[in-house]
Amino acid sequence: MTTSDRPRISLLGTTALLFEAPGTFDLPHQQRIWTLATTAAKWSGIREAIPLITNLMLTFETPPRDPNFLISALNDAWDEAQELPIGGREIRLPVTYGGEIGSSLQAVADHCGMSIDDVVSIHAAPLYTVFALGSHPGYCYLGGMDPRISMPRRQTPLQRSAGGSVSIGGSQTGVSASPGPSGWHAIGHTTWTFFDPSWTTPAALAPGDIIRFEIERVIR
Amino acid sequence: MPIDMAYIERLAKLLETSGVTSIEIEDKEQSLKLVMETSEPSVTPPARVNAISCSDKSHVIAKADVAGHFRATHPWRTKPFAEPGQRIEAGAIVGLVKVGLLYAPVLSPAAGILDAITAETGAMVGYGTPIASIRPVAESRQI
Amino acid sequence: MGPTSVQDLGRFDQYRFGVGTSGAMDDVALRAGNILLGNDENAAGIEIPMTPFKLRFGRDMTFALTGAEVEAEIGGRAIPPWWRSNARVDEVLSLKTMPRSARCYLTVSGGIDVPVVLGSRSTQFRGEFGGFHGRPLQPGDILRCASPTASASSGELGVEPADLVLARPDVPAGNTTVRVIIAGEYDAFDGAAQDLFWRSGWKITPQSNRYGYRLQGPAVKPISPIEKRSHGIVPGVIQIPPNGQPIIQMRDAQTSGGYPKIATVIKADMWRVAQARLGSTLRFEQTAYADALAAEDEVSVYLDRLRADVRLFAELQGCR
Repeated sequence: MTTSDRPRISLLGTTALLFEAPGTFDLPHQQRIWTLATTAAKWSGIREAIPLITNLMLTFETPPRDPNFLISALNDAWDEAQELPIGGREIRLPVTYGGEIGSSLQAVADHCGMSIDDVVSIHAAPLYTVFALGSHPGYCYLGGMDPRISMPRRQTPLQRSAGGSVSIGGSQTGVSASPGPSGWHAIGHTTWTFFDPSWTTPAALAPGDIIRFEIERVIR
Repeated sequence: MPIDMAYIERLAKLLETSGVTSIEIEDKEQSLKLVMETSEPSVTPPARVNAISCSDKSHVIAKADVAGHFRATHPWRTKPFAEPGQRIEAGAIVGLVKVGLLYAPVLSPAAGILDAITAETGAMVGYGTPIASIRPVAESRQI
Repeated sequence: MGPTSVQDLGRFDQYRFGVGTSGAMDDVALRAGNILLGNDENAAGIEIPMTPFKLRFGRDMTFALTGAEVEAEIGGRAIPPWWRSNARVDEVLSLKTMPRSARCYLTVSGGIDVPVVLGSRSTQFRGEFGGFHGRPLQPGDILRCASPTASASSGELGVEPADLVLARPDVPAGNTTVRVIIAGEYDAFDGAAQDLFWRSGWKITPQSNRYGYRLQGPAVKPISPIEKRSHGIVPGVIQIPPNGQPIIQMRDAQTSGGYPKIATVIKADMWRVAQARLGSTLRFEQTAYADALAAEDEVSVYLDRLRADVRLFAELQGCR
């Protein structure tokens, strides 16, 4: 977590740069990250500007000989970045909570000291904003989860977690598009398709879209 | 088939009587050259058989076809591509010639037993430099 | 160490959709094979991490084998390492053993002809797209090959392997040492933990694969537990999960993560990690950004020289 007032900027080898915004994990901060991403994506030498959770990764087309220019440009751009109000669609996602795929539902309930039904209703209550896509094809990081159902990521990531699983990692929640390794706790699943490489834009959702989880079923 | 001495004598006599100064005969397996000693255009000294080049089918030579540095082993290996006494196929690699970052293989022109690698590892070789000597024997497999 | 699959150099501009690079783990070997054949360097080849492997050629074609040393044979003759050769129709290429290093690359003149998906022919396993139907190769699969290009070269020819040209003289042989640049959470580890990271030999566990190499060694723990917000990561990033056992993110890694990052393997040394076998030991060496760029330049010089030599050699042969 960043506690200072200034962003933290660090190198990821010679391939990318990571910009971490100070402040809380909320929509206004994320909107400023979206603005920063739009600005930085146009700079020469930058291949992609990838927003994640109140942070931004810039991958290089060619690595800058001296990254200090880029670092100071990023700081300046951040200071000027306004909250970008991206309009998005509202999507209703039917979820089956618990069961074989949502196998960590009980663990989350135990960790948070509440019943399964409480976890489910707290999870399904808010309107979530898609903050970012990342992790694996089509995976959405959602903002707006109630911190009462937070649970730290696993000590050792699980080698395989199912596609379509709805999970909690730390104070974040997200929906996966395909099976694979995960350090998050799966509490349910949805059968919706999030990603198809043959679509013009391969991901179904984009930052700024809004998701409402509908409780289709709870398997205890 | 080896040229027999009686045949050579007949050729030598032909040289004497015809006034031609040399005869050279070559086929796939061997060559023969007869040179008339021309100090006096006389009958007296018979033509001397002077075989200048005589290779027979007991050896073929694998040669470099590019200039570079020879090596008998791949740089990752200690065992040479082929060792004396080893049976090798036609086209088998008997060594490498390093040209810049590349390794051009030296290939055996015939199937047979490797007699010797005559080039030294590290030596500079050129187009046509003999690399290895092979004693041909019939192909060991059907093609 | 993972499946046999079709890979090119990777998919680099789809991170914003959560799509990672995939691609050849030893990109230097793939490029060298393509250069030998006169292919575009990004032509797709086959990454082969395990033997035995057998392949029948459906037509006459020129191919190259680069990467790990492998006992290879076609038509009754042995193929040396880092080699280009001609195959005749119906001949079977047989890879028998891979005594050291971890994966070899088979490239063919013209490249493997699978559809380009999201800009690349690399296999994206998690998303099940790209490469050959988005999955590992299986016996019975038939791969189409594109036609050779105008600049195609054929005939028996070898090349100096990358590990000889790029050998680092001051590094002891037998160990794989990789250079890394420290990452954002390096200072969250105290001096003792940092020392452990630099001085230990890290064993590559059997749980290592194209997603990540899981290392075993002393527990490297931060001063206090860190739970970071999810952020972008790239191949080479070394994460430290709560159990203190480093994980090097590899080509099929997720595009984001939340574990603390202690360092990132430099791009120029990723091929060394790719060629380190299960059970072998890795060591990390701290490197500055500028030196990492210099190391990338060294790799480029090797490949540039190779390209020039192959062209010159082809002209030489053409003159005869």
